[in-house]
Amino acid sequence: MTDERQKKRAASRERQGASKNDRPTESPPFDLQALARATAFSRPPHDDPPRTGASCVGNQTPDASTRGKPEGVREAPPSSIAELEGGSGGPRSSMARDREITLTDEVELERARVASALGREAPRMPATTSVLTMANAAARGASEGPAASSPVGKLTQADVKTGVLGAVHGSGAPEITQRVIDDPAAEMHERFSLGDYTGALELAELILADDAKNLEAAECSENCRTVLENMYSARLGPAGGVPIVVVPNAHMRWLSMDHRAGFVLSLIDGKSTLDTILDLSGMPRLDALHILHDLVQQKVVAVK
Amino acid sequence: MEKVIGIDLGTTNSCVAIVENGVPTVIPNRGGYKTTPSMVAVTEAGKRLVGHIAKRQAITNAENTVYAAKRLIGRKWDSPQVKNAIATSSYRIVRGPHADVRIVLRDKEYSVSEVSAMVLQEMKLIAEDYLGKSVGKAVVTVPAYFNDNQRQATKDAGEIAGLDVIRIINEPTAAALSYGFGKNVERTIAVYDFGGGTFDISILEIGSSGVFKVIATAGDTFLGGEDVDARIIDWLVQGFKDEHSIDLRQDRMALQRLKDAAEKAKCELSSVRETEVNLPFIISSGRNEALHLQRSIDRETLDDLSSDLVERTIDICRQTLSDARLRKEDVAEVLLVGGMTRMPKIQLTVAEFFEREPCKGVHPDESVALGAAIQGSALVDDKQEMVLLDVTPHALGIMTQGGNFEELIPQNTTVPTQRAKIFTTSRDNQTAVKIVVMQGESERAQDNELLGEFILTGLKRATKGSVEIEVTFEINADGIVSVHAKDLETGKEQSIEVTASSGLTREEITNMMEGARDYMVERRSTEEFEAARQEAERVSAEIERLFPQVEQIVASSDFGRDAIEKARGIVAKTRAAISRRDAAAVKAELDGLARTHRMFKGVVAKTH
Repeated sequence: MTDERQKKRAASRERQGASKNDRPTESPPFDLQALARATAFSRPPHDDPPRTGASCVGNQTPDASTRGKPEGVREAPPSSIAELEGGSGGPRSSMARDREITLTDEVELERARVASALGREAPRMPATTSVLTMANAAARGASEGPAASSPVGKLTQADVKTGVLGAVHGSGAPEITQRVIDDPAAEMHERFSLGDYTGALELAELILADDAKNLEAAECSENCRTVLENMYSARLGPAGGVPIVVVPNAHMRWLSMDHRAGFVLSLIDGKSTLDTILDLSGMPRLDALHILHDLVQQKVVAVK
Repeated sequence: MEKVIGIDLGTTNSCVAIVENGVPTVIPNRGGYKTTPSMVAVTEAGKRLVGHIAKRQAITNAENTVYAAKRLIGRKWDSPQVKNAIATSSYRIVRGPHADVRIVLRDKEYSVSEVSAMVLQEMKLIAEDYLGKSVGKAVVTVPAYFNDNQRQATKDAGEIAGLDVIRIINEPTAAALSYGFGKNVERTIAVYDFGGGTFDISILEIGSSGVFKVIATAGDTFLGGEDVDARIIDWLVQGFKDEHSIDLRQDRMALQRLKDAAEKAKCELSSVRETEVNLPFIISSGRNEALHLQRSIDRETLDDLSSDLVERTIDICRQTLSDARLRKEDVAEVLLVGGMTRMPKIQLTVAEFFEREPCKGVHPDESVALGAAIQGSALVDDKQEMVLLDVTPHALGIMTQGGNFEELIPQNTTVPTQRAKIFTTSRDNQTAVKIVVMQGESERAQDNELLGEFILTGLKRATKGSVEIEVTFEINADGIVSVHAKDLETGKEQSIEVTASSGLTREEITNMMEGARDYMVERRSTEEFEAARQEAERVSAEIERLFPQVEQIVASSDFGRDAIEKARGIVAKTRAAISRRDAAAVKAELDGLARTHRMFKGVVAKTH
């Protein structure tokens, strides 16, 4: 899609008095493939905890300051619709263009559509809203009760939720962007204050890897772990709940999961409680909770 | 009459039984299983796991999971068995303060008796849950080759667990008891016991009036079903490596799943000819995609994989019969004990060796515990006449010149017994002699177990060989060994009473008992809280589910609004009590919750 076509579309929208918050009823007015790629780029490898590291934080708009970066510093991909729209007025960086690839994967296109659908709501969130925060917001909304009807024609609320969470937690896409963080401690605190506990935890652990005695990072790591553990525990229900596998055995191998999730899944016998499975997993509690939470989200497991 | 439980404290699995209305019965654990893995683990959070739950995380938490503690119980730090265990165990084994063995779990040292006590405590709990009352007395089984220190260490474990171990009996004797219960048989039997971690063969004589005597016993403490599992794991790992060039052994989670699957496949192949091992998402490849392991294994493959292990058991049987100067024809019956004896190949091989079909009348997993329960019942019931003759598990004697061992009481001598022998001095003008009391079968003293030593002084100065000293060994019915040395000319004598030791002092045992009691109090209180919490959460959720309907019903009038507010208050108070982990407060709210639930249900039912 060319910039000219985007400009025409924007003008047309203005004539119709459409606001930026409107949900799309047709193909989104931006480069769908670029968005899909951006969404995919913001996904870490499946083994890692969900994170909103430099690659997926949407609190920087591409302005003059981000162009013409020194060599070695890669540009962060646009992570929200607002950002993409903001960028539509001017030429996009040649570096971003260089990375463009043709999307033929239906799943990725679907993710892009989902992201576009939710992205329309972005302006209602704080300017610094990250993809994870959006995902968590969507997940919270879903868990609080039936949400408003699906913003995308054929998609259900569950599809949207899965799509957004997939954008954060999913695996498969390579992580190719990095943003240099000048002051990791400040960034860690900022993320914590914004409720991005996964991102804050990741930074805290990076700091601790360099300086194991850093009390500030240790405290932040501890706090993040507590918050995340509580969050996942709350979503999974009482520790005495018994998880059961709801996917038939024959279909199991067609699911998308890594060996750690496979191991946790193998511990689910229909008798052991969540608490027992956490004990048996031998993993850090947060990792095990995260995997169980994802399995429930993916409807592979249900908790009785 | 007080209930006495019988416990088979196995190397890999344990089992508890009682005699109820004259019928020996095995008690299932909470999971419904009749055997409980003899495994203890401590999680990262410091939680103690015993039994199946410990087994399920044994590989992923290998450093903090103790298995086969029985191989170490009552052993001295410098014994070859301990050295072997140090080389092969995943958990840390360190030297204790009395040259005994300690196990380190999450930076805390435990004596081996303490670890075994955790398993015994679990068995006690299983029995108490079943009987609905406290259990105090137990008969515990040990292998026939256990020496006095190992037996004492097992008794100490029972004491730490809060049990009064009224008798320690040999495992093959217990199996024979179970076999002979209610029958009046006089015959020589062989007990072929192939368990999870050890193999034992024992030849027993069942005499008139129910007298059981162990004629010979031998075995291999590092040969069991786990070795067969290991062969299946190797086979699966190699197959996967050939296909994907990935070694599954490098990943603990994969290995844990392989171990469970191998054991399951082995058990299934005892009843079916072929089974499938299906482990989806066993490992992630370098390309970040999960790989699956799916492979069929048949009985012939398992037989091939384990044939040398089975053959080793037969070699031991052959040697044992030879040592006991018995022919195969002298054995009237062969009892199969231990889970591995379910394997058809083993049944066939044993039948071929002994030239007779093995007896199928005893349960391979349960017979030892049942025998212990029968003995326990007989000990507290005066009406029962069964007599068990205990035998010395090993020969007893003294060290003589040149580091040789002189046997006074042979192995398998029934106790009580007394034997004496005359020795002479080995040097001219020797006025004192050191009596070194040992236990074992080796002719070299250093290979046997030191039980104690004392010095007899005041001997008359004379040329070597002219002073005669009579050494007498006596073992009473409680298994306590007394050794007397007497100068036959002067009449001077000296003696020692050899008391078996587990390597723990009385003070240590007392402290461990207190620790075990504290643990039980904490565990009971946690269980109480969990039970109350589950009930409270269930009823709270039911009430919350009914809120919208009840609110709708009372919406048209003011009547009932305060009831809804009260109900919300009760649910909120309950949740607060749960988050404080206040068991008493949660329990206190249960009545209110139940009343509210009944009321809400009533309102909804009347309206519809």
